[in-house]
Amino acid sequence: MADDKKQSRPDFSNVQSGSSSTAPSPAQDGGAGATYVVKPGDSLSKIARHHYGDAGQWHKIYEANKDRIHDPDHIEPGWTLRLP
Amino acid sequence: MRFDHRAAAVALCLTVAAFTGACQKNGTQTSSTSGTEGTTPSAQGVQVARVDLGTSLANDNTVATQTNTFLPNQTIYASVVTNGSAPSAELKTRFTYQDGQVVDESTRTIAPSGQAVTEFHVSKPDGFPVGKYKVEVFVNGTSAATKEFEVKST
Repeated sequence: MADDKKQSRPDFSNVQSGSSSTAPSPAQDGGAGATYVVKPGDSLSKIARHHYGDAGQWHKIYEANKDRIHDPDHIEPGWTLRLP
Repeated sequence: MRFDHRAAAVALCLTVAAFTGACQKNGTQTSSTSGTEGTTPSAQGVQVARVDLGTSLANDNTVATQTNTFLPNQTIYASVVTNGSAPSAELKTRFTYQDGQVVDESTRTIAPSGQAVTEFHVSKPDGFPVGKYKVEVFVNGTSAATKEFEVKST
């Protein structure tokens, strides 16, 4: 007899994550700091809230990714954004 | 006069070892933080001193409230303390669920000079499933530390 262990696998697709460091990023050498891969349903303010604890910091992400983001209200899932 | 081949072989090995550091069949030592061979020695000096888990952070990125048990709706912070200096070192965390499913992978490239504290955090709007989890920390792709934790409903 099988146990009732056959449960559906949990869905982790909406997990939000972020990071920060007391050490500087090597950005001045052309390197990258933290990056974030846009997930479905994300917005710049949502990402800012999770990474900086303040949705109002969305413009920092926008400024750091102006080469890719032309309209701050439009980001695509799968894009890798730099997080300054 | 008899020529002892075995003694000669040992002598030869010892001589070669003196020049190359070879002949270490036992107790081979490698640098735990070595990065990719042949590249710049960028992150060779960065080691993970410790990883703390908790529900909130202090201003210096250390964990303010340490715990290994979380509620489903709490944000889980992993504070990684590193020592050493490097012009570039990639820290990565991989959070996994008890069934091996990857919950999240995040990387952060840092240029530390001395001790640094880097925090990684994860949250799930609809709550993490109850169960056992693990966070593994990598420095330049090499596993450097692992910490287990649990999500409980109460």
